[in-house]
Amino acid sequence: MRDSSKAGAVDWLYVAPALLVMGVVSLLPIFETFRLAGEYHRLAVDTRFWPVMRTTLSLTVVTVALELLLGLVMALVLWSPFAGRGLVRAAVLIPWALPTAVMAMAWRWIFNADYGVMGDLLFRAGLTASPQVAWLADASSAYWAIVLADVWKTTPFMAVLLMSGLAAIPGELYEAAAIDGAGPVRRFFMVTLPLLRPTIAVAVVFRAISAFGLFDLVYVLTGGGPGGRTQTLSVYIYDVVFRYQELAYGCALTVAMAGVLVLLAAALLSLTRREEPR
Amino acid sequence: MRPTPLGRVFFGLAVAFVTAWSLAPFLWQVVTSLKPAAEVAAVPVRYWPSTLDFGSYAQIFKARPFATYMWNSLLVGLGTTALTTGLAAAAAYAFSRLGLPGGRWALLAILGLSLFPGTILIVPLKQLATRAGLLNSLTGLVIAYTALNLPFAIWVLKSFFDRLPKDVEEAAWLDGLSRWQTLWRIVLPLSAPAVATTAILVFIFSWNEFLIAQTLVSRDAARTVPVGIAMLSGVTVYEVPWGQIAAAVVVTTLPVVVMVLAFQRRIVEGLTAGAVKG
Amino acid sequence: MLRRLAPVVLAATVAACGRSEPADGKVRVRYLASPDVGGFSKVIIERFEKANPGIKVEMIEGPSSGDARENMYSTAFMAEDDAYDLAYVDVAWLPKFAAQGWLRPLDDLLPPATAALFLPGDMEGSRYQGKTYRLPIQSDGGMLYYRKDLLAAKGIPVPSTWAQLVAAAKATQSKEVAGFVFQGKQYEGLVCAFLEVVWGFGGDLLSADGEVLVDRPEAVAALTALVDAIYKDKVVPQAVLTYQEEEARNAFQEGRAVFMRNWPYAWNLMQKEGSPVRGKVGIVPMVSAPGGRPAATLGGWGFALSAYSRHPREAYKLAEFFASEESQKLAFLQGGILPTRRSLYSHPEVLRAAPHMKDLGRVLAAARPRPVHPRWPRMSDALQMHVSAALSRQETPEEALKAAATEIRAAAAR
Repeated sequence: MRDSSKAGAVDWLYVAPALLVMGVVSLLPIFETFRLAGEYHRLAVDTRFWPVMRTTLSLTVVTVALELLLGLVMALVLWSPFAGRGLVRAAVLIPWALPTAVMAMAWRWIFNADYGVMGDLLFRAGLTASPQVAWLADASSAYWAIVLADVWKTTPFMAVLLMSGLAAIPGELYEAAAIDGAGPVRRFFMVTLPLLRPTIAVAVVFRAISAFGLFDLVYVLTGGGPGGRTQTLSVYIYDVVFRYQELAYGCALTVAMAGVLVLLAAALLSLTRREEPR
Repeated sequence: MRPTPLGRVFFGLAVAFVTAWSLAPFLWQVVTSLKPAAEVAAVPVRYWPSTLDFGSYAQIFKARPFATYMWNSLLVGLGTTALTTGLAAAAAYAFSRLGLPGGRWALLAILGLSLFPGTILIVPLKQLATRAGLLNSLTGLVIAYTALNLPFAIWVLKSFFDRLPKDVEEAAWLDGLSRWQTLWRIVLPLSAPAVATTAILVFIFSWNEFLIAQTLVSRDAARTVPVGIAMLSGVTVYEVPWGQIAAAVVVTTLPVVVMVLAFQRRIVEGLTAGAVKG
Repeated sequence: MLRRLAPVVLAATVAACGRSEPADGKVRVRYLASPDVGGFSKVIIERFEKANPGIKVEMIEGPSSGDARENMYSTAFMAEDDAYDLAYVDVAWLPKFAAQGWLRPLDDLLPPATAALFLPGDMEGSRYQGKTYRLPIQSDGGMLYYRKDLLAAKGIPVPSTWAQLVAAAKATQSKEVAGFVFQGKQYEGLVCAFLEVVWGFGGDLLSADGEVLVDRPEAVAALTALVDAIYKDKVVPQAVLTYQEEEARNAFQEGRAVFMRNWPYAWNLMQKEGSPVRGKVGIVPMVSAPGGRPAATLGGWGFALSAYSRHPREAYKLAEFFASEESQKLAFLQGGILPTRRSLYSHPEVLRAAPHMKDLGRVLAAARPRPVHPRWPRMSDALQMHVSAALSRQETPEEALKAAATEIRAAAAR
């Protein structure tokens, strides 16, 4: 159809309303951010910047990878017909449906050192010496607590998007593969995965962006502790802007963050685009 | 493609795992919300309340106009979903089919908009809303959320439209339908899985959003659920009312579950097998 | 389905947004506070409006988290809007708010003779660079709670030095009962608790002329004492690294700790019917090193006047009304809000309802505000992080405080 129609100015009318809304609400504040940003030299000497960047990147990579794996499993399971599928689908979406700030409180309660159900369960299973485990007191267990809570919360997002991608795969391809004698595992790698690639790209890019901006979970669950080991870039920027009132530097950090994200998104997009059939 | 018995068992286990993983932390909230106050924090952990106590539920509706919050959230959620899906569908169709000059760059620029963390947007957003008279207004929230969701919605829909077979549209075109009519009558219904997916994810986003709602709204009449939950408080400022928070989590999840049950069938229909060619 | 629903939803959304601004000619005074648990603020406001028929008060009940409210105030003030006439501020926010020019000084409204009626710490914490910006409404200060019964059973006197505290904790603790708990999570409360120990060891964070003292031997000794209490003396459970106020109070109230550092709010809850420690609890100022001076970190809230308010006089009137002896008494008796007026700590009606107020008065008289510096939040965060790192043994006390001092000096020099 691209060939049969001549693009004209009038076609932009389809896009105009969306652009208008985004322009007013998102673009103006972003201009504002660039205008206010300053003190870039501090990025080089800020002792917080690199540890925070490292934590943020590592959390992004780990959570998105786990979510993709788990999300694929979920999508495949929920895609196959079975009795009660509608209910299971609704159940799977529940983690995504809960307000993060609130569920983060709930996780704090689950990981509570004195009353937490996590410690109690593992104790009953014989995995810990005592039901009182101070999960959030230790840098690495606090890190994994955040990973667990975030993966739990956002995997449904991944799964639902991947399901919509599965919906676009014509069934006859599977049939053809099955006739060729391909088992379910081979069918997955030969048909599902390649055809799912564009959807995976979109899902991973958007998930990575929002994982990189992880805020409320960390803020509520650990406050960035212990010893600053779970502080993310968003939490730091929030502190710099609102608590320290260093607006110029906070905006500079935001610009730096957006720069890293541009690189990240570009890398992800080119990675998935390269092998896409023309 | 008849599954082997081993495959069946394996699949059953996968369903069980996915369901348990998604539900367990939520069910823990259900149990917590039903405990009498004294049992919420008990050593050792109680896995079932001695008596079912609905006090926490009574409290959240008594202490705060929780029904108003939910109604507001519902309006904002549906408003945002309708507006976002509508605007995004038009834009995505143009990007996918109309061969807009510079469309690729526009798409990347739109993705770029979502690279900025929400935390940095709130001060400029508040200024904008004040100037536009949209403080304490649900409309203000709908516009802000729409803008924030459009990049994601446009990308998802565009990647789905790209893969729709073009022959149906061309046929419609030959039948004398305008492009606008083609979009509404042919493309959108065919894209039901992607539209439903987008709608669900957008609805849930606005149902959960906290920071912007907190910034733009300071009156009970226009408060949404996450902000309302943050107002739950115990006897003292230090106390975290775990039981009430758990009850709020349960109550706020119900509408989303209903919404998902209503929409999930849409994800299944649409593009499966040969239905398209029909 | 969406297509049919959209117009309906949009119409409903727009309809729900009609805004009401009654045109009754009254001056409106707005402020943001935590949810009014117990409802005494509403009573005080009703009385105020009756006495001042030309003024209508709008108390906006915000989220219960202080951080969230600080953010809401900051957002409003950064946008320079007059959404709030008064700011109900934590003593820790004051230097920052004042330095940003968000607050209007009160010196022309508050005569020195009136100021002298308040607790000295509360007034000191209301000043910034020689000007007064806040009328204190609610006082607060950290202290040491102890189990009278457990100490008496072993014949151990109430400790007044750090060494005595550790020894007493060791002698009384058991497998189920920890020796000492405090707020050890990485957050502002950790700095409050740490500061009391530092003061007790004769150290400080900043000198009066702004010199950074964080890496001096006194502070290092204080942090070493805290770290040793966890890992060497083993009188503090490692779980305190996750403790805020409530976690500590729960542990103590359920009889799982002999000593606790906490704010006064815990007292009322522990004396409630059904509390396992009811009548078994004593309070003293935090212990010090020999030769040190016991001190309490000052907390507390008060009204400051927004620089953007269009009705400063009316707004101040409301602040004054809340600070009156009558209102403070009501807030204490109905809501347990600690008064800032000295007279109330010896007021017969108050003492009849709460005899412990005499001890509390002593603690609060020794309360000192945190360092008054516009960059305090950044300094506090640096301290929180490194003290927390030391408590979780990621850094030694010397390393931690040296790093914190470097960051604090960098912040101060900026």
